Amino acid sequence: MTGVFLAGLRFQAVILRRSPAELMALLSTPLFTLAFAAIVVHAGALDLTPYAIVGPTVIAVWTMALNVSGDIVDSERHNGTFEPSLATPASLIVLVLGRITTVTLVSLLSLLESALIVRLAFGIAVHIAHPSLFAITIFLTAAAMAGTATAFSAIFVLARSARTFQNSLSYPIYLLSGAMIPPALLPGWLRPATRVVFLSWSTGLMRDALRAAPAPDVPGRLAVIAVLGVLGYVAGLWLLSSVLRRMRAAGTVGYA
Amino acid sequence: MIRDNARVLRSGAIIAVADLREIYTWKTWIFAWLSRILCEVTFFAFIGKLLHSQAELRYLLIGNSVFIVTMVAMFACVSAAWERQSGTLPLLIASPSSLLTVFAGRSINWLVDGSACAAISLLLLGPLFKLTMPWPRSLFVIPLIVCTGLSTYCLGLALAGIVLRRLELRNLVANLAYLSLMVISGAEVPVTFLPRPVQYAANILPLTHGLAAIRYLLAGAAAGRVLDQGGMELAIGLGWLAVAFLVFRHLAERGRRDGSIEFGSL
Repeated sequence: MTGVFLAGLRFQAVILRRSPAELMALLSTPLFTLAFAAIVVHAGALDLTPYAIVGPTVIAVWTMALNVSGDIVDSERHNGTFEPSLATPASLIVLVLGRITTVTLVSLLSLLESALIVRLAFGIAVHIAHPSLFAITIFLTAAAMAGTATAFSAIFVLARSARTFQNSLSYPIYLLSGAMIPPALLPGWLRPATRVVFLSWSTGLMRDALRAAPAPDVPGRLAVIAVLGVLGYVAGLWLLSSVLRRMRAAGTVGYA
Repeated sequence: MIRDNARVLRSGAIIAVADLREIYTWKTWIFAWLSRILCEVTFFAFIGKLLHSQAELRYLLIGNSVFIVTMVAMFACVSAAWERQSGTLPLLIASPSSLLTVFAGRSINWLVDGSACAAISLLLLGPLFKLTMPWPRSLFVIPLIVCTGLSTYCLGLALAGIVLRRLELRNLVANLAYLSLMVISGAEVPVTFLPRPVQYAANILPLTHGLAAIRYLLAGAAAGRVLDQGGMELAIGLGWLAVAFLVFRHLAERGRRDGSIEFGSL
């Protein structure tokens, strides 16, 4: 099983290296960072610089989960390689998880990009005041995102109409995720929705980790990301298994 | 000749409308696409709230509403590539009509789509965020949005002529182009805040002057200032149309010479 997972990791790394278009989110990150950082610097709100770093990171991680991870199964079908993959004794779900893990890890490079751009363009060095909190938050966020991406990869195969909504799942989620705007600033009727988006907990913790002041209620907030992440995994794996079962039963495995 | 070009343009536009109908139903346009656009503009408007500044909120809401037409018009770069994927490019090159005329009509749906989204965003979200919108003067933002869209569309066509040789880069080029315009055109911060070389670039690219015209209009400036900026936006669009003409001519000539215009798709 580990071998299959590692094969998935390596395979996706090769695909990303050879397809610059797949890395579009990472190439867009400097531009989002410049836009957000320019806004806060122009307004003289340098204390909001962490927002200009966390925001583009969330955008890149989410975009790659949605567009690259979400397309993994469907692109295999399109390429005609899905049937032979299913016919092998190796677990397809583990292989897909390996590939999604690579995408998620690569998408996290956007964090370094953002910090670097803010430093180079505006001369602002970002100091991580609570490194361990930052590291744990990033780890949990990456794990939860991989689970959510698994669900995407199944949904986009299951419902072709979901494709229509693929492009539309960007800014609504950026709003709810607290990527740039803390949920407290949103209208009261919208705030409950932010509580079930794990990214809203992640962005709050990431920003707190960049500030010198002690972060409040850390264990509870980390636990919420973990719980929402596990729920994402369970939903993703269940959906993917259901989709595979359904395609086998309906004889649509090779349909592209 | 003008009549022939108009006929080709119209035929291209028919394909564009068919594309739009294929991509969206009115329900998915409103509930998926337009909702996403409204969320995008709202996202930036809330950054103004984060900065505790109604002036910033106004600046960002107007800038990002108008930016929508630029973003969507730039999709021309992507849909031009679909034509090559359909295998029609060799036939178009063999035909006596200008390649640019075909492509100028073929992606016009994005101009309509983008103009509608931008105008709705500004005219709907402006009052919701308590922006002062002088009536009926505010309605003149619609022709200025269309003018900004036209100008960006011409840049999109020039880029389309380039990506037709590297289809795999179509989304990447379109995205990086419109995001660059978002950063430097004055949508997020005034152009004067940017380094001087960037300001020079902004002044010869679409969106900058069209957006300035809309800001002047909504601030109650004299009509002359609005028209000056609107005229500059159109002139820049014409300049990019000339570039697009040269790019498409080069594409056709090089394709004929080296046989690189094939029926295949990527």
